[in-house]
Order: sequence, then C-alpha cells, then structure tokens
Amino acid sequence: MEVKPKSACESCAHFNEAGLKKLGVNTTAYDHVIALAGNPNTGKSTVFNALTGLRQHTGNWPGKTVTRAEGGFEYNKEKYKLVDLPGTYSLLSTSEDEEVARNFILFGRPTVTVIVVDASRLERNLNLVLQILEITDRAVLCLNLMDEAKRNKIEIDTRSLARDLGIPVVPTSARFNEGIPELIQTISEVASGAIVCRPHRIKNIPKNIENAVEELSEEIKKEYPDIPNSRWIAFRLLEGDQHIIELLKSGEFEEYIS
Amino acid sequence: MKQKNIDNIIALSNDLRWQIGDEFHDNLAEGIYADAAEIVKGAVHKENGNKRLRLDAKIDKIVTSKVWGFPLMFLILAFVLWLTIIGANYPSAMLAELLLNTVHPALKSFASSVGMPWWLDGFLIDGVYLAVAWVIAVMLPPMAIFFPLFTLLEDFGYLPRIAFNLDHLFKLSGAHGKQALTMSMGFGCNAAGVVATRIIDSPRERLIAIITNNFSLCNGRWPTQILIATIFIGAVVPSSMSGIASLGAVIGVAVLGICFMFLTSWALSKTVLKGEVSTFNLELPPYRPPRFWKTIYTSIIDRTLIVLWRAIVFAAPAGAVIWLISNIHIGDLSIAAWMIDSFDGFAFLFGLNGVILVAYIVAIPANEIVIPTILMLTVLVTGISGGEGAGVMFELESASATGDILRAGGWTLLTAVNLMLFSLLHNPCSTTIYTIYKETKSTKWTVIASILPVIMGFVVTFLVAQIWRLFL
Amino acid sequence: MNTYNPLIALLIFLGLSLLGYLFFRPNRGWYWFIKNSSRATDKVIAEDILKRLYHNENASNFLNINDVVRTLKQDEQMVVESINKMTTLGLVKMEGDIVRLTKSGSDYALRIIRAHRLWERYLAEKTGFNKSEWHQRAERKEHELTMDDTNLLANTLGNPQFDPHGDPIPTISGKMAKLKGVPVSDLKVNTIGRIIHIKDKPDIIYKQILAENIHIGSIIRIVEKSSERIVFHSEGEAFKLAPIMAGNITVSVLEKDVAFEEDVLRLNILKENEMAKIIGISKELRGESRRRLLDLGFVKGAEVSIDLLNPLGEPKAYLIKGTSIALRNNQASKILIKK
Repeated sequence: MEVKPKSACESCAHFNEAGLKKLGVNTTAYDHVIALAGNPNTGKSTVFNALTGLRQHTGNWPGKTVTRAEGGFEYNKEKYKLVDLPGTYSLLSTSEDEEVARNFILFGRPTVTVIVVDASRLERNLNLVLQILEITDRAVLCLNLMDEAKRNKIEIDTRSLARDLGIPVVPTSARFNEGIPELIQTISEVASGAIVCRPHRIKNIPKNIENAVEELSEEIKKEYPDIPNSRWIAFRLLEGDQHIIELLKSGEFEEYIS
Repeated sequence: MKQKNIDNIIALSNDLRWQIGDEFHDNLAEGIYADAAEIVKGAVHKENGNKRLRLDAKIDKIVTSKVWGFPLMFLILAFVLWLTIIGANYPSAMLAELLLNTVHPALKSFASSVGMPWWLDGFLIDGVYLAVAWVIAVMLPPMAIFFPLFTLLEDFGYLPRIAFNLDHLFKLSGAHGKQALTMSMGFGCNAAGVVATRIIDSPRERLIAIITNNFSLCNGRWPTQILIATIFIGAVVPSSMSGIASLGAVIGVAVLGICFMFLTSWALSKTVLKGEVSTFNLELPPYRPPRFWKTIYTSIIDRTLIVLWRAIVFAAPAGAVIWLISNIHIGDLSIAAWMIDSFDGFAFLFGLNGVILVAYIVAIPANEIVIPTILMLTVLVTGISGGEGAGVMFELESASATGDILRAGGWTLLTAVNLMLFSLLHNPCSTTIYTIYKETKSTKWTVIASILPVIMGFVVTFLVAQIWRLFL
Repeated sequence: MNTYNPLIALLIFLGLSLLGYLFFRPNRGWYWFIKNSSRATDKVIAEDILKRLYHNENASNFLNINDVVRTLKQDEQMVVESINKMTTLGLVKMEGDIVRLTKSGSDYALRIIRAHRLWERYLAEKTGFNKSEWHQRAERKEHELTMDDTNLLANTLGNPQFDPHGDPIPTISGKMAKLKGVPVSDLKVNTIGRIIHIKDKPDIIYKQILAENIHIGSIIRIVEKSSERIVFHSEGEAFKLAPIMAGNITVSVLEKDVAFEEDVLRLNILKENEMAKIIGISKELRGESRRRLLDLGFVKGAEVSIDLLNPLGEPKAYLIKGTSIALRNNQASKILIKK
C-alpha cells in the first residue's frame, strides 16, 4: 500500500505559503489556541519548533518538557497560539505532568488539539490518542517520524487510519520540515470548521463498566446539556478525580465548559 | 436545586465506583489498548513485525554488554571531561587576557582620569567587575563545551542507556536509575543537574537526586582541583610522573564524589527518606542522529547562557563583599585579616587554614572565584610581595608562582589534599541553593541539601588531618 | 595549640560519633525512645481505649478496666484516669465494672478506624513502604489526622470502600460495607474465588500469611483439601496452608464459567529470545505503579520479549508494543505471563 499524504481530505485547499508567518513567543493577541499533545519521544517539541520557528531544546529522553511552552504562528491572517503540553503515555493517572496535559485539553479550551504520534509505534501511541478523542472532538493526528517508519519498513494507510479515528491524519517528518505545511493547512481547516471531526469513542469496555459510564454520563448531560465530553467526565468521576469533583462542587465547572 | 443535582451526580459516581470495584482502571486500560490494536490491524503493515532496527539493536547490544558497557561509559565520560578541561584552556586564557589584563587596567585608568574616589573605583572595578570577569573567564568556555557535548549525547539517545546500565547500583542505594543522568549533568553544573531531576517522577527519589547532586564535581571546581593537584601532588613524585599523578588525583576526587553520592543516597533512603522505589520505568528510545549545529545552538542558548547569567548575578555582590572585607579596617586589621585570624585555630583542626575558610565563605556565590580569593587573601595576611593590592583578586601566569605564594602562606601537602577534599565536599554554590529551593519549594530540604555536604566535608578533612598527623 | 594531640582529637571525635549513633540510630536510638514515650499522650491513650472497646464490643466481648489495661499495655493509672475523664465527657459509661461505649464514644472510635484504614490504603497506593509496615505506621498516624484531613484523604483516594487488608472503611456517617464471603477453609475443591479479606489478627498468623505472599484481589482455585492442609493455586503459584491460616482468608466465590489461568509464569523469569503473552498484573501491585505499567502497555494479551539484558543483571529491557522499556526485577515479577 502506498502512503498517501493528505488522507483526510483529498479536496483540501492547498497550502498557502505566503500566508505563513512564524511568530516565536510573541502571542499577545490570537484567534485560536492550539494544544500540542503526545507521548514522550515522538518529536513533539520538534513539531512545536517547526510550527513556531522557536528553538526549544528537544532531548531524546522521555519527559523532557515538564512545563508547558508557548509559541505562535500566523496563517492566512489568523493568529494561532501554540501550547506544547508535557509528553505523557496516558491521561488516566495522577502524576503532575498528566494533570497539566489533561486539564489543559479539558479546560483550556483549545480550538484544535494536535496529537503527535510516532509512526513506527502507532499502537502504543493510540492509547493516548483514544483518550484525547474522548475529551475533544477537534483534533488532528500528526503522524510524525515518518522517516523512521520508512527505515523500519512500516507502511501506514493514513486514509483508513483517519476513517477509524474520525479525525484528519497528516504524515510528517518534522526534523526535516516535511509535512509541516500540510499540518498547518489542516489545523486551520479544523479550526475554521471546514473539516468536521467524528472522533472514535472507546468500545472495548466490559458491560458493567459501560453501563455505569452510560448511567453517569446521562446524569451529567441532564445537568450540563451542552457538554461535549460527558463520557470522559464520567470516566474521571469513576476514577475519583478530585480536581473534577472539586470543580463540580464549587460550581466552577460550569464556567469552564461554557 | 443545582447543588443538589451535582451532589447526586457525585454520590452516584461513588456508588457506581463501589459496584465496579478495583477493576475499573485495569479494564479501561485494556479496553483502550484493544481498540488501538483493532485500528492498527487495519491501517498498519509491518514488514519485520515488532522487531527493532538491526543497527539500533546492534548498538544497544554493545553499549549494554557485560564486557563493553561500563568501559565504554567511562571512556565517553572521560572524553567529554577531557575535552572540556583541555579545550577550555585556550578560550579561558583569551578571555582572561581580555577581561582581566586589558579591560581592567583600562577601566582603572579611565576611573582615575575622571577622578573617581578610590573607594568607589575599588568597590566597582576591583570588587564587582573583577568577580564577574573571573566567573565569565573561568566558567563560560568549559560550559560552552560541556553542555553541547552532553546535549549531543542526549539527542543521540545514549543517556538513557547509561541510566539502564547503572540502575542496579542506584537501586542498591535506594535511588532511581535516572539519577545517573542528573549526576552526569552535575559534572557540568550542579544547578543544571538539579533542574534535570524533573525527569524522576517519584518525589522521594527525586529529593535524593537533588540532595546528592552536589557530590558531582562541577565545572567551577574542576580548575581548583587541577591547579592544586598540579602544584602539590605533582611535586611529590618524580617530574616525569607528575602529570599522571596530578591527573590521577583529580579523577580520584571525582570518583570519591560518586562514592559519596551513593553512600549519601543510601543513608538518606534508610533514614529520613525511607521507603522503596515506588515506580521505575525507563523507555529506551531509538537512536536518532542529532542535528549537530541546531543542537549546539540550542544548548548554548538554553543551558549555558542561563546558567552563566545566574552565576554572574550571584558573583557580582560576592566581589563587592570581598573588596569590602579586605578594605574596611577595624582597629589595625581589615575585616578579612581579622576573620582569618579568628578562623585559623579552628581551621587547623581540619588541616586547612583561615584563608581557605574565609575564601569559601565569601565565595559561596561562585566556586570559580575561590582560588583568586585565596591568593589575594594569602598575600594580604602574609604581606609578601606580589598580587594587585588589597581586595583585588588575581591569578598568576604560572602554577609554580602560585605555589610559591601558597607555600609562603604556610601550605603543606596536607593543606592541599584537604583543600581538594573540601572543594568536593562543601555547600553548593548559591545558584544551586536557589535552584534547589525553586525545585523543592521547601526550606527544610534546601537547608539539608546545603548543610549536609559541609558537615561531611568537615568530618572527612578532620579525619584525614588527624590520621595524617599521627602517621606522617 | 600546645596541648593539641591528633590522637586525643580523634578519640573525642569517635566518642561524639558513638554518642550520636546511640541517640539517633534508626528505631532503637535513645532519641526515638524519648520521642515515642512522650507521644503516648492522653489523647492517644483515650483513642486507643475507644478503639479497643469498639472492636471488642463488635465481637460481643465486654471488657472491664483490668482487661483494658492488659490489652493496651499502658500504665494502669493513666488508663484509669483516661477512662474517668471519658466518662465525664460522655464517651464511655460504666456498667458495674464493665466499660461500655456510648453512642458518641462509638462514633469517635469509628472516626479513628476510618483514619487508620484510609491511611493504610494511602500507604498501599501512593508510597513504596513495605506492607508489613502499613499497620504500625497507621497506628501512629490515626491520632494525628483531623476530621478534615481524613475527609480530604478519602476524597483524594476516591472514597475507597476497603483498606488493603479488605477491611471496610467507615464512611463519614459511620456506615461500613458488609463483607460477603466464605473462608477459604470452607471451600470445596475446584471452587474459584477472589480473595476479599485477610484478617490481620492474630499477628502471628497474619505475618505467616504475608510471608506466603497472598494478597487481596487475586483469584484462587482450590485444588486439594484435607484436615491437615488446604492447597490452592493463584497467580501461577501453589499455596499450602494449615486450616487455621486458611480460615483467616475470606473469598468471594466466582461463577463457574470464569476462566482460571493455570501455568502462569512471571515476566522476570523470561529468557532471551522467548516470546510470551501477558495474562495480567498481580494484585500485589497497586495504585500508581500498577497504573503506570498499564499505561505503558503491559496489558492482558500484549506480546512481550526481552530486548536487552543488563551488565549488572538488572533492570532488563522488555520489548512491548514496539518499544523497549526497562523494568527492575521486582516489578517484572509482578507481571503474569504465559509462554
């Protein structure tokens, strides 16, 4: 099978190079917030640097970015603020970096979440992707390190991947700046609503848990009819996430999601 | 009404959690991975199954092998340190020539031409300016070499393999394998090493790594070790062997530091930081050829300049203090002379002298200025000729001239050995102390991390001094 | 300086360090003795008495003052004083020479039990302390936690129902979940069940059970039963217990169609060039460390092999879902596999 770039939409508008301006850390006024999430060691910081023109240090060891970094770019007269979240394997545990990432995607209200994954370790990376897709329905999968995948003789059918996940998939090799224009174009289209995502929801859960999640999620929807991720909130409540419980109790939850 | 509904939701979640039992997280994690497997099955085609790249696997076999693993590790570390120390000599000398021998006299003559009062001239130019100039001249070149080299290794992916090889030793001392990385980083700069402990995710092990980072001999202390070893250790063996002997002594001190690091980690994890390693997992990422120039650029911007800037901020007031204590007189004696006098008896117990202790007190902000301060104070109290005048730090062109001044100040081989030990085992510099506070946000642990090495330094130098005097 | 002699200086130093060692050595240092004896304050004694009375009354044992003194191993006069004081506060009342809890006394006792069990749960989930230390640590901590601390702790732990021994944790209002189970000694051969409770008293038997490495939550199958011993399999190992020990372990019986994995091995015994499938993670591993392993992909059904051996023997790197992850042996030994 051949790797097809631009899988999600064949008819997409083409990248407009003249419309791109990398803004570095200058992010005072912006139209959209873009969150950058991903496992450690997927070249997330490299993607961040390629998008913003910044030169954050990118180490080849897990957990380099502990605090979040911010940068920006301008494309077709719209300003984008980019937030680089700490690299995590999952969003289900209670460690500090996971909390930062989780809360930002949930409450920071990013317009688009870009999920950077290592193309040669897709299965392991999907763990995080599927969790993020429970939280947000505006996401782009950045299939990074395609060069390494090729060296490993791994072929990925991006079209079928995009269909299964319900979000656009962009193959990149950020180290060599390959695929970055396409990524920017796709981000802008998801942000503007030109691409509408239908994210995958986790299926393989035992019946008793599925029922509990359903029941709880219904109750949450009754209280907050506009909430897009009642299922995720149900997951967190079943896990006993203190942060969410506190927000619910204090009433702040409403402010965050509205 | 609203509040009641929310309470209901929370109560319902509690009930459901109890019904599901402990299995929830297990089931959820398994479910997500099962979904992932289904998706991957349809979208990914792998020619070699799950195997890793042959080249990667080969490199890994060598760097973690029983025979080559450890020698390779030490060779690489030794090479990095050697390149740092030797390579830094020339730019250091050039910077010193520029900042100390050209700019400093120029500033002095400018000051006298505009008629600046002697105290302002001394305070600003001999005090603040000289301290900053020393720090830049001594610190910038080695850091500009060490950090990029270290970063190249890091980007290549070698560092996690070091942690992998050494983890067992760290486990025996109750610490985390990733401490190997922060320890190596500490050879460059302890403050940077302390920041690097963020990669350790369990708080107990991270504290151990922070407290023991100071036992890695940092760039500010390598020059002191090398100078003193060349003058005193090199002199006791035949001249043909002196190079090797002094190098051996310096490496011995660094290795001793590693031993102290393990020992302290072990003692901490048996007493105040009791407990077992709660989580340990280390991903060994695939090797990636680093982008050479980009790495060098970012590591200089990210690490070297930030650390240097902090050092300068702390060194400037130290320079001012050094000038003040040697120029303000109480009675006949300057404050410095008075302090040295009162410390002399106490210092004798540890095989040191008052000059060294005073130098270490005023040089807490930056280890780089210890040797210039010691020279200046020695000339001040002995009254021998040489140097630049009260409160003016200096260093001499040749090691032998430095040795002459120190011997005139009453230095013996014991003083030299104990100075080397004390330089390894004393409080971290103020940049590091400040960083420890920022990272731990705890006064208690900052105090412990600062005081513990000094106590150990006094105990070790005391024991060495007594035994030395008994048997030699 | 004339009187200075290095030998004397050394001796003084050695003397001081010996003294320091005697004072501060772990567990038996004098400093800890002083600290511990001053810790047995009125509050601690009173709370210990209430707790003791509560447990005994629950088992329909009623204690008189002598019994209390004997079981507490405290100074008699202090105990008597404490009981008098609590009588005036309305926490206990005397019925003849029997000391009995009032309603508020038993509420107080429940609060202490709640703090104790929550703290044990905390130790089990969030720290690396050995399980034999949990109880002792909780015995001390229960007196230090205020009501608010306890509630906060319960919230951060997700309001758990049971402590790591399987004992129910009282809720704020004092309610406790009921244990519905059968002691292992009553089970028939071939029954499959999940361990839900291990009695932590008497201490000797509990220690033996711990030494056998049996833990809450693991699934067992009875393979042999006689009057001398009961044998069951769990997580790939066979356990042979005397009936008294087995009687202290409670199990909830599972439906017949539950698949019970026999021939389960541990990841740490996997050899180079062997492939294995993960069956699960032992129930011994809890809280954070369990979650971390799951997140890394050590889930049921995943294929695993050894990627790299270590020059020092440990840790080894395992290839799991395309990535090399290093684990120490004690962690790998808690991952159940099948070759």
